[in-house]
Amino acid sequence: MNARLTLRAGLFAVALLLVAALGTWLLFGRGRMPIQTDLLAMLPATEQQPLAEAAVQRLAHANGDRIVLLVENTDDERAKAAARTLGKALRPHNVFASVLATLPPFDLGQMVAPYRAHRFFLLSDADRAALAAAGYDPAQALAQRIDAPFVDGVGTTLQDDPFGWLQHWLDQQPWSRSPLVPEDDLLVAHRHGQTFVLVTATLAGSSYDDSVQQRVLAAVDDAVRRVEHDQPGTRVLRTGAVFYAAAARAGAEHDVHLVGWISTLGIALLLIGMFRSPGPLLLAFLSTVAGVLFATVTSLLVFGQIYLLTLVFGAALLGEAVDYSIQYLTARANAGPRWSAADGLRQVRPALLLALATSLLGYALLGLVPFPALRQMAVFAMSGMLAACLSVFWLLPALLQHPAKPLSAPPVHLAQMLQRGVSRAGLGRRGLLLAMLLLLFALPGWWRLSHDDDVHLLISPPPALVTQEHRIRDITGLGNSSQFYLVQGANTEQTLQREERLEQRLQALVRHGRLGDWIGLARMAPSQARQRDDHALLERILRASGSTSTSNARPAGPAEPTRTLADRARLQALLVAGGLRTTAANAYADAWPGTPLDFKAWLATPMAMPFRYLWMGCDAQGCGSIVLPQGGDDDDVWLRRAAQGLPGVSLVDKAASVSQLFGRYRRYASVWLLAAIGLIVPVFGLRYGWQRMPRVLAPPVLGIALTLAALGYLGQPLTLFHWMALMLVLGVGANYAVFLHEGEPHTAHRPGAMYASVLLSALTALLSFGLLALSSMPALRDFGLTLLLGITFTALLVPASRADEDGAP
Amino acid sequence: MRRLKWLLLLWFVMPLAHAQADDALLQRVLTSLGQHAAVRADFTQTRSDPALEKPRVSQGHLLFVLGHGMLWQTQSPFVQTLAFTGQQAARIDPQGVPQPMRDARGVSRISQMLQAMLAGHVNEVRRQFHIAARGSTAHWTLQLVPRQERMARVLGSIELRGDAYLEGIRIAMRDGSHTDIRFSQTRDAGALSGLEKRALDLP
Repeated sequence: MNARLTLRAGLFAVALLLVAALGTWLLFGRGRMPIQTDLLAMLPATEQQPLAEAAVQRLAHANGDRIVLLVENTDDERAKAAARTLGKALRPHNVFASVLATLPPFDLGQMVAPYRAHRFFLLSDADRAALAAAGYDPAQALAQRIDAPFVDGVGTTLQDDPFGWLQHWLDQQPWSRSPLVPEDDLLVAHRHGQTFVLVTATLAGSSYDDSVQQRVLAAVDDAVRRVEHDQPGTRVLRTGAVFYAAAARAGAEHDVHLVGWISTLGIALLLIGMFRSPGPLLLAFLSTVAGVLFATVTSLLVFGQIYLLTLVFGAALLGEAVDYSIQYLTARANAGPRWSAADGLRQVRPALLLALATSLLGYALLGLVPFPALRQMAVFAMSGMLAACLSVFWLLPALLQHPAKPLSAPPVHLAQMLQRGVSRAGLGRRGLLLAMLLLLFALPGWWRLSHDDDVHLLISPPPALVTQEHRIRDITGLGNSSQFYLVQGANTEQTLQREERLEQRLQALVRHGRLGDWIGLARMAPSQARQRDDHALLERILRASGSTSTSNARPAGPAEPTRTLADRARLQALLVAGGLRTTAANAYADAWPGTPLDFKAWLATPMAMPFRYLWMGCDAQGCGSIVLPQGGDDDDVWLRRAAQGLPGVSLVDKAASVSQLFGRYRRYASVWLLAAIGLIVPVFGLRYGWQRMPRVLAPPVLGIALTLAALGYLGQPLTLFHWMALMLVLGVGANYAVFLHEGEPHTAHRPGAMYASVLLSALTALLSFGLLALSSMPALRDFGLTLLLGITFTALLVPASRADEDGAP
Repeated sequence: MRRLKWLLLLWFVMPLAHAQADDALLQRVLTSLGQHAAVRADFTQTRSDPALEKPRVSQGHLLFVLGHGMLWQTQSPFVQTLAFTGQQAARIDPQGVPQPMRDARGVSRISQMLQAMLAGHVNEVRRQFHIAARGSTAHWTLQLVPRQERMARVLGSIELRGDAYLEGIRIAMRDGSHTDIRFSQTRDAGALSGLEKRALDLP
């Protein structure tokens, strides 16, 4: 018999070692630590279309691998000197692939040249409207251009663009509208008497790589400190995914340390106090370590990486995994000298299996939510609990052959008093009355409950970083990327046309001050249809104003070349009449009609490079592009309305989608909770009889009801995570009822001992899960607080479930 | 050796002394110009451009209101009123309603520069231009040369000259085009009409 126990334990130990080795390799053996600091990766796929989800990823990472620094000083010279120094200080660090502070030499003419051949196909919105209106006179436009006061000539020349059409078109391009202007070879903005200078750097690795984060932070902190010291009055604002990721990692590490250490220490002290010897403590931890190890390896094998949320949650799971070994250890302590490891196991097995089953059910429900992060938490918990329980069945018996000291007397005595008090109160009709009173007391709390589904439950960046990002966005005009339009079409042309229809509406929003601006590709390289229309508009205008050869043209649709020739002659005549030299007029007219701008060719030019990420490309389903709204109200009603009724256009708002999903599942959660209770009812009914079942189930259910009331009194808006925790409360609370029911018959000779072990389980759970209430992540904080309340209520109520047997005088 | 030291010292001090004299004149000129809160003048603008057959002349009236902007009312060869306020440029329609022009950064840059200078914000102008002052307060010339290389490639210089008032502006471009603006009949503006106030967004 003992040999079988030893053999099983040996096999289990070997398996444990193998898993440990596998885990070590998975964690450290493959270069990068597989810990995911990209918070976006935790979010569920919310978008119906895969392309929208891809666009979200694209935008997050377009800005993901670079940092943006903005140097601010009231003294212009100092601001610029500081920016130069900052650039120089960052450049030697090889964690940056490139650092941009001073601009490379660059000719304004380069902005004009690529568009010159297409100038008769490109019109600004204002010119298009003016040309289409009745009474437009190109001669007037020419005169206005020639006689405009103070023209400093930056842009197109009179010869290249006598009517100013190309200039106007260039003026509406994003690079002409940027609040940042080149000054002293730096990109500078002046605002409220302050000078702001832009310094950017691209990273030589991923923002989510641990070592990249550390090196970037060290380099930037050091350089900024030096610059702020050397140039007094300087402030350096920063933004970039790397800063957010580093903050998230630091927050999670802090949480893991806090929860991990305090709970480990607390549990150790509790166990030593109860069992009065260090042996049980070591065994309890051995079982827990087995659980965490299996859980980590399973999660890594299933998901390939571990989310920060899981890491913190995992630290808290220690407290639940330790319950199984506590039950076994208590059984040994209670058996006294009559202890036999195999008999003891037989005694606790039903309770442990029942407890395991309810836990697995609870976590399986958690895993049904389509959130990557919650799924992983569920897988982590299920594998961890299973392993911890198996270690009690297979490993612990071999190590616990000898009888132990009974449990420490004072806690048992205390437990006994508590148990007697509660079960007396819960007896018969009095119990029912008290339960009713409790519910009555809870009623106003329920009444006060509200809810909150904000995405910041999962992602709560440090406010300091967020304010800096807002300020940088405000000054530089760099867009926010959480809201954008996805435009889809069957081909490039249709996509651009649809984008143009959207941009018409956005233009109206800008006019009414509801939107600052937007960035879209169709504005930089219009659709062929729009270019044809614009060209036709110019053609019509020339013909209408043509004075010379119009009468000679054949009225009935002349052949194409003849028409073009006639148009050219008209153009030439118009320019000469307006005062241009014949040579200049000829040169301009010779350029007529030119060619339309080709989208693909434009996209390949260096000028398009900063905007290339807006083009999602084409596949069998069609093409897609992104339009970024910038500035304006936070209210997205207008943005949403602008997309309404436009085919192929949708507003993608990841934050709003996630919040909606949170809300949907929060509403489902109450139903799930009922379903979970429904699953436990038959299990308890079969085991304890249908008449006693309500009494066994009452403590966890009442515990949940009181927790909800307490949350209401605390003014905590309910979130999805509160409900998730309530599900756990149900699972844990049911365990306590089971432990008490299953264990009590075996410990009749030691009154209070069984309840003491249940309280011990509850305290260890509180020490781990309850500490999550101190977490820096709102989701885990809600989770922790709910468990703290729920477990406390349930553990205190649980003696009432045996009131009819124990409470009887 | 000693002589060399003196030479070196002179070398350094001379431009400094020069700059100070320049600065003093510049300040006096700007103070004197800044005393007129609102000014009216008639203008004649002559523009020559390599693409033009002959220099083009336009004429009209100018209203300059310190701290607010200016109205540029062309009378010939066509009638048109432009308003420059801050970074905005607008065409004023016959009803006196401003019709904003497209992003008119290029057009209004020099108007902004003038506004900044006359409002005493010389430093803003110095960011973009080297300023050299010549002459006396009775007859002065300010020469502005772009500091920014990008700008210097297209804009040669801007020259302002005048006495108690601004008499003329000459803008020389690198491509060989010039704009010459001469002001005459310069006087304090007196009361502004309702249309003028509306166009300049004044109360």
